[in-house]
Amino acid sequence: MKRRQGWLFFIIFLLTLSVYLLINYPLQLGLDLRGGSQLTLQIIKEEGKVTKDELEAVNSVIDRRVNNLGVSESNLQTLGGDQLILELPGEQNPLVASRVLGKTALLEFRIQKLGTSSNLKELQFQRLNIKDLIEEYSSLEKKQNSDEFLNSFQESIKDIEQKLNYSANNEELYEKLIEIKKYIDNEITNLFIKTDLSGKDLINAGRRQEQTNSNWEVLLTFNNSGGEKFAEITKSIAGTNQLLAIILDGESISEASVGRQFENTGITGGSATISGNFSAENARELEVQLKGGSLPLPIEIVETNTIGALLGSKNILKSFYAALSGLIIVGIFMIFNYRILGFVSVLSLVLYGFFNLALYSLIPVTLTLPGISGLILSIGMAVDANILIFERIREELYDGNTLTRSIDSGFQRANSSIVDGHITTLLSCFVLFLLGTNFVKGFAATLGIGVLISLFTSLNCSKTLLRFFTTYQSLRQKNLYLPRNKFSN
Amino acid sequence: MKLFNLELITNKRKIIGFSTFLILLSLIGILYSTFNTAYKKPINLGMDFVGGNELRIERVCDEECSDISPDSVLENLRVVSKNKNLSNNIKLQFQNKNKLISIRTTYLSIEESNNLITNIENIIGPLNYESKNSRLIGPKLGKRLLTNCVSSLFVALFAISLYVSIRFDRKYALLALLALFHDLLIVFGIFSWLGIILSVEVNSLFAVSLLTIAGYSVNDTVVIFDRIRENLKSSNQGHNETIQLSVNESFRRTTFTSITTLIPLLTIILFGSYSLFWFSVSLSLGIIVGSYSSILLAPSFLLKD
Repeated sequence: MKRRQGWLFFIIFLLTLSVYLLINYPLQLGLDLRGGSQLTLQIIKEEGKVTKDELEAVNSVIDRRVNNLGVSESNLQTLGGDQLILELPGEQNPLVASRVLGKTALLEFRIQKLGTSSNLKELQFQRLNIKDLIEEYSSLEKKQNSDEFLNSFQESIKDIEQKLNYSANNEELYEKLIEIKKYIDNEITNLFIKTDLSGKDLINAGRRQEQTNSNWEVLLTFNNSGGEKFAEITKSIAGTNQLLAIILDGESISEASVGRQFENTGITGGSATISGNFSAENARELEVQLKGGSLPLPIEIVETNTIGALLGSKNILKSFYAALSGLIIVGIFMIFNYRILGFVSVLSLVLYGFFNLALYSLIPVTLTLPGISGLILSIGMAVDANILIFERIREELYDGNTLTRSIDSGFQRANSSIVDGHITTLLSCFVLFLLGTNFVKGFAATLGIGVLISLFTSLNCSKTLLRFFTTYQSLRQKNLYLPRNKFSN
Repeated sequence: MKLFNLELITNKRKIIGFSTFLILLSLIGILYSTFNTAYKKPINLGMDFVGGNELRIERVCDEECSDISPDSVLENLRVVSKNKNLSNNIKLQFQNKNKLISIRTTYLSIEESNNLITNIENIIGPLNYESKNSRLIGPKLGKRLLTNCVSSLFVALFAISLYVSIRFDRKYALLALLALFHDLLIVFGIFSWLGIILSVEVNSLFAVSLLTIAGYSVNDTVVIFDRIRENLKSSNQGHNETIQLSVNESFRRTTFTSITTLIPLLTIILFGSYSLFWFSVSLSLGIIVGSYSSILLAPSFLLKD
């Protein structure tokens, strides 16, 4: 009896600790419960596996970009060796993040090949045309587009295609435009020769509004060697008709000439500006990308989940109702069938609930919808152990054994079945956790934790509580442990 | 103390016949689904596995939301949308008294998806963005998720088989696993049929439910086999009678635990979020089939003729 009293105090201590933990360290809610967006970024590598170093490098670039974007409370983590998961809580639009993160942001400085001036001019002219068409097309969105207009639009495209001596493969109008633009970008880039100056030589990027008009420009600051390289490059083409192109991800964003006055020294001072008709937003995105550095491997956004805040709070409420009503109905069922024993199992279920939640805040486990369903499901499984034990106790009682002995041997004889059953479920959880996606992991974690805790509550807490009850003479009548209506016997 | 007496010995044939019937039905569903449906897969794979865009958003209405046919919305959408490819591959539904719009398309970028919402808002707005739920899954990720789910299923089954065969005699282990595959096949078959008849799709949570069912089913069978082993050692009755007695002794326990596990699942089906609906349904089915196979089917195989 003494030993069990120690357990009773231990359980009370654990309960107090759980309540304390829950009050001081509130549960972390997943995005499906509080609203927000989740982006899954896949690292693309043509050959071989993504190495740990590469993953880390991509991770740190993305991390810097996210920080520079200024999204609040964002959370970035790696998943399965070649994926990253970015969470943006609240009503933050994933669109900007996706635009900034998805680009490799490989910055190059290139010098024009000799004798390509007329070629370049024609390409620049057609690029302007296609850009206009794209813009016009985008503004069409909300208007009815008549056939007549579309026809003339098609004509303009055909015209450009003829001049370029290129025909697009895409049938769909918008994609056709984009394809032609890509072709032009590629052709322009090919007119320039690579130099050894690149985005790696940057130490900072900033943006400012141009003085003459409302456009924005992006200011690049080089490190020492970068500044020297830049001076060297500009010196070599100063006063000639060769242009310097600044190329981002294969698309030239600026082609500029270098004045004769730089013939002797080149452009010194270690900085350069890109002024390519940027809007404030575009300039900011470029700034963030350049500041974060270029990605060592390209990435692709393969999954986006967005959940409104209202839907999140509805999900919490629904899960709460489901869990509470499940608990109450199971409790009624147990008390109806097992009377005092059932009451004990309800008490240990309540303890079970508290221990579970406390452990979630301790580890911490982020609670998601699948996680909650794992928790609710594990309620059923926790009762399972109790039922096994109670059935044994009842059998012992029917066989005419004393109450104390029945309780003891009931717990003892049910032990091996309970452990076996829990291990098979734990095996499933373990595999789910190792191989599953983020979504699945939540379920595996809560179900697994639940199964482990139920081993403790059903074997230990129930026993302790039962022993405690049986110390009262009035609670020791056998019929309080047997159902009112005996089916046979 | 028995609830009632299960006549296992006399009903052995009926039980095995019933299970064979269920398995055949499942296999027919799986075959029909593989060869005679639009998706040509044993089961209707959902967006998690094939990629796509799923959007649910509520309209803001004063009292009742006006009745609009989905076709007219799509018609309007075709006019304003510049991406013709998109407007041809779109499914649109109204639910919850025309309040909830649910849209499925092929994979879109975030930008395209935002454009789609803007277009929809122009046609039947205003919309409540706080209630938005949008999922975009690239086809590459879908494929990966599918292989991931299938491989975790096999690894888990292997691990469970290993544990059971170490822990029990070969005969018991084999039968427990047989019951397990029986349960999984039937649940899979039911969802094949659901896919054919109601176009219910399965996502990664379905794979999770199969794994959970696996753990649960083996657990159920193991408890009964434990009891049979225990009784066979001490009993002086005949072999078959002892098995029948053991099953009857465990019957209350197995049905009760199934009931207490089913209750929370039913409350999720009734009150929980829609994304957990089919998950809970498949778990419930698995538990029902699992209890049946561990009470009636698996012990029947232990009976001697």
